[in-house]
Amino acid sequence: MKINELYGRRVLFPQIDNFPINDSQIQVLPTMKINETSVTCLRCGTATSKTFVALPNYHYYCPRCVTLGRVSTLDKFYHVQEPNQFEPPEQVLTWEGELSQLQAATSAVIKERMNNHCRQLLWAVTGAGKTEMIFAGIAAALKRGERVAIASPRVDVCLELYPRLQAAFANFPIALLHGREPQQYQYRQLTICTTHQLLRFYRAFDNLIVDEVDSFPYAANQALLFATEQAIKEDGSLLFMTATPGKKLIQQIHNKKLMVSYLPLRYHGNLLPQIKLCLAFNWRKGLSKKHLPTSLLREIRNTLNNRYRCLLFVPHIADLQPVLLCLQRFLPDKKFTTVHAADPQRLEKVQAMRDGRYDFLITTSILERGVTFPEIDVFVLGADDQIFSSSALVQIAGRVGRSVSRPTGKVMFWVNSYSRRVREAQRQIAYMNGKGRKLLHG
Amino acid sequence: MVNCLLCNCRLTQKLTISKIIFPGPLKQPLICPECFRKFIHYSLEESCRGCGREERSELCDDCQKWQQYYGWYLEHRPLFHYNQAMKEFMQKYKFQGQYHLRGIFKETIKETITHIEYDILIPIPVTEHTMLTRGFNQVTGLLGDISYTELIIHQNRQKVAQSKKDRQSRLQTKQPFLLKQGVNLKGKTVLLVDDIYTTGRTLYHAANLCYENGSKRVQSLSLAR
Repeated sequence: MKINELYGRRVLFPQIDNFPINDSQIQVLPTMKINETSVTCLRCGTATSKTFVALPNYHYYCPRCVTLGRVSTLDKFYHVQEPNQFEPPEQVLTWEGELSQLQAATSAVIKERMNNHCRQLLWAVTGAGKTEMIFAGIAAALKRGERVAIASPRVDVCLELYPRLQAAFANFPIALLHGREPQQYQYRQLTICTTHQLLRFYRAFDNLIVDEVDSFPYAANQALLFATEQAIKEDGSLLFMTATPGKKLIQQIHNKKLMVSYLPLRYHGNLLPQIKLCLAFNWRKGLSKKHLPTSLLREIRNTLNNRYRCLLFVPHIADLQPVLLCLQRFLPDKKFTTVHAADPQRLEKVQAMRDGRYDFLITTSILERGVTFPEIDVFVLGADDQIFSSSALVQIAGRVGRSVSRPTGKVMFWVNSYSRRVREAQRQIAYMNGKGRKLLHG
Repeated sequence: MVNCLLCNCRLTQKLTISKIIFPGPLKQPLICPECFRKFIHYSLEESCRGCGREERSELCDDCQKWQQYYGWYLEHRPLFHYNQAMKEFMQKYKFQGQYHLRGIFKETIKETITHIEYDILIPIPVTEHTMLTRGFNQVTGLLGDISYTELIIHQNRQKVAQSKKDRQSRLQTKQPFLLKQGVNLKGKTVLLVDDIYTTGRTLYHAANLCYENGSKRVQSLSLAR
């Protein structure tokens, strides 16, 4: 173990064993706070009742963040204060793309606020080019010798960001941390990680960027919110990015705790496609008799006949197979398949769709964000199901019209009923489009 | 509202009319029926009289070898198959140290133990180092409120965990246990309890120790095999 593995991190180690390195910089920190009737984990901030997590001999542990290694009173944290031991190279940003006028203006604001170590939110519509807009801010921070991390709740988003950032900052080796294939931790100035990995850091980052803040499992997860606060230095800056901020974030904006930059237009300057609704009463009952709504079949055929491709979202994994069987009967000459979170071939299938080897995919909400297929239409069967939150619906609608070659497209929802979440999604799109129109036409 | 300790789904309990009319103590299950169904019981018929393996023969090949070696075989009762679900449970409970999972099999174990006649129940011990890093003995955790006496202890010698060895080196393991000083097992029937029975090496060492110290009969029980 190298000492730089402790820089800005807390490493868990048993009390009775000797820590492999001996250095005067190392601080030994407690792992838990013991209260009267509960214990609080100092890594994830969760308080648990003593009776539930008592070990023999008056020891306690935290059941919440146990997958990252159990925090217990039998262990101690070993930590070295972040020394920012970096020597940034001459050329920081190797990205040569160009920002549109609107993007450039937003980018400058973000850079300025990152420089002043503010807490801010970038509220930009899906497909606005969020990642490119933060390059300038990151570059300036790296040049100042600050430690920067980009975190996202979704592994897929991290995996997509990594090659883009590595190309944009070619002179910086980037550390990519996530739980799916554990790789050796490396001390780097620039880190991309899942939000769960933030639990391991302590006062490490001068600038922390959290992408897709509103997505599962980050939103409403107290442990991850706690970890975010712990991972930033006490005077560090925090940048949230999302297309669909939840109630809590909007409240923080109103309370002036969070500065906000809006970008209501996509990078190609077009408005978001609005959601079109179709009624499909009892579609599940029809599905059990191997029928799909005729309008859905017609729309899919139209899209494919126009040589476009599409995504068909369904609420549950159990719905995938019946829908696939129906469509196979109806479209025997087309190539398509299903994909869901637990699918072992998930990454291969998505890649095959990117490469154009499928005409369309039937999927659950895993493809709702972080993925870009050019020139597609999106259909959602059962959009009023509880599983689709309003922000998920906005994200799903946001898959459409992301490329310059086809900046528009169809977004159609088949619903049993006009639910609050569907209405809210339509309202959010209309709201951003209203702001966008003002920008376009003054 | 309580969630399943393994899959985190919501546990709902249907209140029947008889429960409303005759309210007794409510038994709240810790895991959902779907998760519990993944653990598969050993059947009692057509199994080896020694290790409990589901085989037609009276005494399986492995147990016959043990009989040749020691002159006796251990009457062992495994409760569940060591399948994927059990592996995942052990990973969480024993290796990640989620002690709150200990109660999942409490009822099943209690039920089985009440049908076994014994004088002393001895759990297989863990090393002192494990006690100070894991913080608990996984076997006594499983036993819950069943009374036991920790008469066997580990010899203080550098030990590689059985779970980190292959079959051959497991079988070659030397006696790791000692009986506590001044313990008399003369004429007693002993029930040994362990978490997993793999080759039988550990339990045979412990059983041998009991027989050497005058036990009349030794039986054993494990959660999985």
